[in-house]
Amino acid sequence: MENLMHLIQGFGVLFTFQNIAVTIFGAILGLLVGAMPGIGSLAGVALLLPLTFKFNPTTAIIMLGALYYANMYGGAFSSILIGIPGDGPAVMTLMDGYPMATKKNRPGQALLTSNLSSFIGGSIGMIILTFMGPLLAEFGLKFGPAEMTALLLVAMTSIGWLVGENPTKGILLTMVGILLASMGMDTLSGNPRYDFGSVYLLGGIPFVPFVIGMVGFSQVIRLMSERHQETKLAVSKLSIKESMITLHDFKRLLPPAIRSGFLGTFVGVLPGAGATTAAFMGYAVQKSFKSEEPLGTGAIEGIASCESANNAAAAGAFAPLLALGIPGSGTGAVLLGGLMMWGLNPGPLLFTNSPEFAWGLIASLFLANIITLAIAWGVIPFLIKILSVPTKLMIPVITVVCIVGSYSTSNSMYGVLIMFISGVLGYILNRTGYQTAPAVLSFVLAPLLESNMRKAFIISQGSLGIFVEKPISLVFIVILFVILLFPLIRLVLTKLGVLKVKEKV
Amino acid sequence: MEKLKSKKKISIMQVIPAIGILISLVFIYLGFTKYGFWDEFKGPKPGFFPIVVSIFMLVASLLSFFFSFKEKSVNWPLEDWILPLSVAGILIATFIIGLLPSLAIYVLLWLKKFEKCSWKTTLIVFGIIAAIVVGAFGMWLGVPFPKGIILNMISN
Amino acid sequence: MKKSILLLAVVLLIAASVSLFAQGTAETGSKSFVPSKDIEWVVTSSPGGGSDIYTRVISDIMNRKNLANGKTFLVMNKTDGGGEVGRLQVSRVSAGNIADHTLLTFNSGDHAPMLKNTANRIENFTPIAVMAVDKQLLYIGEYAKYKTFNEVLNAVKAGNNIVIAGSKGDDIATYEMLVKELGVSQNQIAFITNNATSDAITSVLGGHVDLVMSKPAAADQYVIAGKLTPVLALSETRFTGNLASAPTLSEVGPYKNIENPIWRGVVGPKSMSAEAADFWSNAFKAVAESEEWKKEYIEKYKLVPEFRDRAAATEYMQNFQKLTLATLGK
Repeated sequence: MENLMHLIQGFGVLFTFQNIAVTIFGAILGLLVGAMPGIGSLAGVALLLPLTFKFNPTTAIIMLGALYYANMYGGAFSSILIGIPGDGPAVMTLMDGYPMATKKNRPGQALLTSNLSSFIGGSIGMIILTFMGPLLAEFGLKFGPAEMTALLLVAMTSIGWLVGENPTKGILLTMVGILLASMGMDTLSGNPRYDFGSVYLLGGIPFVPFVIGMVGFSQVIRLMSERHQETKLAVSKLSIKESMITLHDFKRLLPPAIRSGFLGTFVGVLPGAGATTAAFMGYAVQKSFKSEEPLGTGAIEGIASCESANNAAAAGAFAPLLALGIPGSGTGAVLLGGLMMWGLNPGPLLFTNSPEFAWGLIASLFLANIITLAIAWGVIPFLIKILSVPTKLMIPVITVVCIVGSYSTSNSMYGVLIMFISGVLGYILNRTGYQTAPAVLSFVLAPLLESNMRKAFIISQGSLGIFVEKPISLVFIVILFVILLFPLIRLVLTKLGVLKVKEKV
Repeated sequence: MEKLKSKKKISIMQVIPAIGILISLVFIYLGFTKYGFWDEFKGPKPGFFPIVVSIFMLVASLLSFFFSFKEKSVNWPLEDWILPLSVAGILIATFIIGLLPSLAIYVLLWLKKFEKCSWKTTLIVFGIIAAIVVGAFGMWLGVPFPKGIILNMISN
Repeated sequence: MKKSILLLAVVLLIAASVSLFAQGTAETGSKSFVPSKDIEWVVTSSPGGGSDIYTRVISDIMNRKNLANGKTFLVMNKTDGGGEVGRLQVSRVSAGNIADHTLLTFNSGDHAPMLKNTANRIENFTPIAVMAVDKQLLYIGEYAKYKTFNEVLNAVKAGNNIVIAGSKGDDIATYEMLVKELGVSQNQIAFITNNATSDAITSVLGGHVDLVMSKPAAADQYVIAGKLTPVLALSETRFTGNLASAPTLSEVGPYKNIENPIWRGVVGPKSMSAEAADFWSNAFKAVAESEEWKKEYIEKYKLVPEFRDRAAATEYMQNFQKLTLATLGK
């Protein structure tokens, strides 16, 4: 109740003409930048940070919040429309978003599903943040190296859901993703690893160019030989009315969006997990629930589960950021930098020392959430026109965007080279029946898993006991074994005749 | 006839798992010799995780390799390779004349010469790309594009 | 509509090319340097850490005192490859206007790993200034098992193992000095390297490790809030203010004090013109002499002010490099 009062006061701070104008401005910029491949929320916030210099601190921070938040919305746009994920979380959106827009011919609905789910997930995250922020932050602290290791192991098993019909190929590429991610500097020992003597490899393989190439550019190459068989969209489909989702669609998106909202908030609070992990876990969890259409073929549930999760995580990440001064992700770190530039030290004292800032920022997230939804909704009819452009004209456009996007992540041609190589590789692999999604996801999760696992072993002096002595970790280890042994148990039970054989699994 | 052929010849279906085997062996070798596997007190050394993963990969590669003989080889539309070739061209050209001119030349040649578009379409698409690249990335977001050897020599 | 887009694009292209050439011609005629565009300031560690705070305080003071001709500082955190990529990029900036508007926060904690892991050397940069010297402390969390450093030492003697969390670079070096002086093995007192001090603090707040090593700046908030308590000053003398309670190592037992002076400096790319380097060296000198610097940085974060100008900083950093390379056996 007390927190609600604070929040209302926060809105009081927010509702000046300038602040609202700035929120809208931030939301629009955030959407635009988020939609550009290569400029994910991290780079987006970092690039736009200087724009906030012109305002007073409260206004600046409100704008920053809006920017950050709208960025999370925008990331899905390029995924759904042109099949290039702009940032990590958008990889999962692509799995169903792109097929839904192109194969199912429902681009408007795909975008709207993504926006609505983002809104729902974000709202859940913010409400939890408002009422339980500091508590959540304390809970997040309980997740030390051992707990994170156990949780990530559980998360890794769900990559199994993504490997497709050919498991050996799926596992092969999962491992490739991990090995690629292990190249570069090894933080724990402070030594380079698998750098093969190259200073560029010392910095490892940059994620965004890798993803743009593996998932985006590889698709463009494939489009080459298909570019003359046009499947144009009917122009009548391009109005707001025609892009509306049906009540039935809404009923389909609601349960996964709500589930992922809670899950995403939880993941967002954990140290170092971030929106990509959240989106991925949201999607993986959805695999174990019923979807009307199979996931990966353009199912609304697929889009809803990951988009809701990543926005909830973005909101959840504010709990440790504001209450403890701990950035949960790279973007959080840049935001933290922005807050500190304004003389604000997020940390245990923020809520007592500068409540108007803290609550103003939280209130601005709420406002940004609503405004971004409205704006995104409004631009959908214009955006989906992109799909009616003939493929042969889209190819050079997307190619250039891939190049410029991967260049921009680190302002170096190294990014373009990585994009190019992973693109060709992705193309060859796709043609030969290898799914590239597992490689991309293991690339994100594996480094987290490895560093946490090694930290846990340093703490326990090389003993495995640490994973079962800690209660939270034990719970996840038990879940892990259940997941791993489940097929075996089912097999045994079926053989014994206890379980009936299902016709189709 | 075609099936017989693909069974006899080593195709891309075998090459990929073979590369997988090779990579995993390199990572395992370097892991043991250079980075170490297990420390008595500190647990995993830098090589531990990659080695474990490489072993899984080795197994998966071997399995894929054996399964691959049952698979049909895929066809490779030659047309597809034009795109990677042109991007490779852009990469090389960038070092000499800079990124923006390389992209401009690529877009114009692609649309006009390769796709045989009308001048009108070519210029419109060119304009849109220029607006995205120069307008949004370059001017608004302040991305500094590489200028290439020639321009760098002029400006210094 | 379509025509206007085209027109816009043409205008943009022309504008871009004009600005490209303008950059090329502007610096050929100039003798004394004044910033003519926004300054890109690269920091090779995460936001929130000590280097980041340091950078932002300086850029803020420069803005307020209008030392950079009214231009803005764009602080860029480039943490790839332990910061090596960011450092390499700065060292490779080719001469011209951009080189004169590029700064790099360069500390002992950046210099040492660079020497260890790469062939990059201080000769590839233009040293501009050394601003201050920093030191570390060991802290315990709220619910720590051992409340003082003596208890920690007793626990080690009793056969328990202790874990210290810290950041990269300097922290590792200081940790190695500490275990050597205490005469214990790196297994009895182990060290976990985190990407940033803030990650290390997270793990001690959650009670997952026993101690955290941090410079006063990054831990300040938590000390004020009572979440962290300093238990050992890694310094020749005690700190002041709310850190005064922490003893030095010689007060704890029959040991010598441990101090690993961490210098904080600034460099530019090698290709920076001499005029620009002089300009920046003077600007940093003005910051170092300002009241704001003393109040908002030195006192607040308990550092030792130690300004060295361009010439002195060059010598200082080269000397540091010689010593470090000698210990590395390179």
